[in-house]
Amino acid sequence: MSESIRTIKETNMENVFECEYIDGTVRLCTKNFAPGYSVYGERLIKYNGTEYREWNAFRSKLAGAIMKGLKENPVKKNTKVLYLGAASGTTPSHISDIVEKDGKVYGVEFSARVVRELILVAQRRPNLFPILADARFPQSYMPLVEDADVLYVDIAQPDQTDIAIYNARTFLKSDGYLLLAIKARSIDVTKDPSEIFKAEAQKLEKSDFDVKQVINLDPYDKDHAMVLARFKG
Amino acid sequence: MMKLYLVEHAIGSFGFDENGKLIDYVLNPKDIGRVVELLLQHENGEPFPSALELINKVKPEEIVIENEAEIQKLQVKATVKPHHEGAKIFRQSLAKFALESKFASTEDELYTYLYQLAFEYTRRKLRSAAQKRDLLAIQAVRAMDDIDKSINLFSERLREWYSLHFPELDKLLEDHETYAKIVSTFGYRDSITLEGLKSINIDEHTAKRIVDAASKSIGADISEDDINSIQQLSNTILSLFTIRNNLSDYIESVMKEVAPNVTSLVGSNLGARLLSLAGSLEELSKMPASTIQVLGAEKALFRALRSGSRPPKHGIIFQFPAIHSAPRWQRGKIARALAAKLAIAARVDNYSGRYIGDQLAEQLNKRIEEIKTKYEQPPPRKPAQSEKLGERRSRPEKRKSKERYKSKKNNRNEKRRR
Repeated sequence: MSESIRTIKETNMENVFECEYIDGTVRLCTKNFAPGYSVYGERLIKYNGTEYREWNAFRSKLAGAIMKGLKENPVKKNTKVLYLGAASGTTPSHISDIVEKDGKVYGVEFSARVVRELILVAQRRPNLFPILADARFPQSYMPLVEDADVLYVDIAQPDQTDIAIYNARTFLKSDGYLLLAIKARSIDVTKDPSEIFKAEAQKLEKSDFDVKQVINLDPYDKDHAMVLARFKG
Repeated sequence: MMKLYLVEHAIGSFGFDENGKLIDYVLNPKDIGRVVELLLQHENGEPFPSALELINKVKPEEIVIENEAEIQKLQVKATVKPHHEGAKIFRQSLAKFALESKFASTEDELYTYLYQLAFEYTRRKLRSAAQKRDLLAIQAVRAMDDIDKSINLFSERLREWYSLHFPELDKLLEDHETYAKIVSTFGYRDSITLEGLKSINIDEHTAKRIVDAASKSIGADISEDDINSIQQLSNTILSLFTIRNNLSDYIESVMKEVAPNVTSLVGSNLGARLLSLAGSLEELSKMPASTIQVLGAEKALFRALRSGSRPPKHGIIFQFPAIHSAPRWQRGKIARALAAKLAIAARVDNYSGRYIGDQLAEQLNKRIEEIKTKYEQPPPRKPAQSEKLGERRSRPEKRKSKERYKSKKNNRNEKRRR
C-alpha cells in the first residue's frame, strides 16, 4: 500500500505525523508502537522502514482537535498521561504511540464490556496500563498510578467537569495540562452546546485552571468540544 | 507533636513529614496475586498491612490520609486530604522512591511490575463483573424456556377455541405465530382476504388455500364478543413472541460478553443453556469435559450408572447442529470432541477472558471433518454384542435393585394397611 504514499512528515507537534497520499489527501498518523497490529481497523503505512498508523479524526477526539487547530499538544514523548474514559483504546493507543516507551498512559475505564477490548490493545503496549475503575472514585486507582503531566478526560457524564477537576487535584502535577472532551448532549440535552462549553470552561477557570483553548469538534464529533487548560494548583 | 503524611501505593506505604521529607516506609510484598487482593480490600477502606506496620513503627500522634473510607480502621487520629504534601512528592517521583527503597533495581523493572499488576487487577475485576452477569444470562434463558412453554400452551388453546369458528385453519398452519397473527388481524374468518394475508407475509399458495377454506368453512358462526375474547388471547401470544425475540437478542449480547469463547463454539442459546444446567460460568469451568458432554441427560446417565447399561452420548449439546445432523454412529465422537473444546472454552472464559474462540472452533471443525471421513460407514453389527451387553449388566445387582424396589413397595403398602 505504501506506493500510494507521497510523504510522511512530522507536524509541529512532537511525534504527530502527517501523511500525504498520492491523490493529495492528508491524514494524521502516529508511529506504531506495536508494529503489525492495527487497533480499530485503521490503515498501517510503511514509510522509510517505519510503520505508521493512520489516525482517524472521526474516531478520536484528540485527532479531531488537532485537525481543528489545537495550538499546543501537551502529549509528547515521555509524558505521563492519566486517561479517564479509555473505552476500547482507540485514542489511548495513539497516545501510547506518541509518548513512546518512557512515557506512560494509565487508562481508566469503568465499563467492563469495553475493558475487554482495552486489555487486548494494552497487551501489545507495555506503556499502556489498563485499569478497570470508576473515575468518580480516584482512591480506588490511587495506588496504581503516579502523578501525571497530562490528564485526558473523555467520560460522558453530566458531572464530567467536576470529576475532571477532582482528579486533577489528586493526580495532576502543577503546570500540568488538562484535555477535557465535553459532550454537550450528555450534560444537558435542552441547552445550546456552545453555552454549555462556555459554562464548563468557566467552571475550570474558577478551579485553578487556565483555559487555553476551547475547540468545537464539528464536523468530526457533533456537539462536542475539546478544552485545553493548564493547571495552576 | 508529630504528623505523618501517609501515602499508600502498590509498591508500599510511605510516610512523610509536613515538609515533604520521607520519614520511613514499609514495602508491600512483591507478589502480584497478593497485592491485587490488598488493592481490592483497599477500595473498601481497608488500609494496607504495610501502612499499619508503618504507623506502628513511627507512632505518630496524627496522620493525614488520602482515602476517607480508612478513617475508622486506623487506631490513630486521622484527617483526610487527597494529594497532600507527601502524596505529591511521592507520586511525582514514583520511580525515584521505588529505586531508593530498593523495591526495584531499575525503572524498567518497576514499570514492568506495575504493568502486570494493572493487568491482573483489571482482569480480576472483569471476572467478577462477568460472573455476576452470567447469572443474568442464565435467568434470561430460563425465562425464555418458560415463555416457550406458555406460548405452546396458549397456542394449543387458541387453536381449539378458534377452531369452533374456523376449524380448517388449524391444519393449514403449523406455525403458532402466524396462526395467532391471523386471528389478531382478521378476527372473523370472513374478513380474511388474500391481500391481507400477503401483507402479513404469508406465501401466495397458503394464502389462497386459507381464503378458499374460509369460504367453505364448516365452523359455527360466533358473536363479536366471542371473537373479542379469542383475540385477547391471540394478542397475548403475539406479545409473548415479541418478548421472546427481545430476550433472545439480550441473551446473545450478554453471552458474548460473559462467555465469548463458549458462545463462539455453540452459539449464545446453547451456551446459555449450558451455563443454566451447570449453575454458573464458574461451575461450568470446573466441570470435566465428560460431565459437560452429558449435561442435561442426567436421568439417562444415572440410570446407566445404576443398571450398568450404556451411558448417554450427549446431553443438551445434542442441540449442536453438527451432532443432531450427523449419522447416529458419529454422534458420540463429535459430542466428545465438542465437550472437550467446551471445557477449554469455559475455563478460558472464567479465568482469563482471553478470546480464543476462533481457534477452538477451527480445531473442532477439523476434528469433525476427520470423524466424518474416518467413520463414514456405520460400524458392522456385531452379533456377539447383545450377549456381551448382558454380561456387563451384573445380574445380581439388578435383582437386588428390583428387590429393593419391591420391598419399598411392600413397606409402603404395609404402612397404608396400617
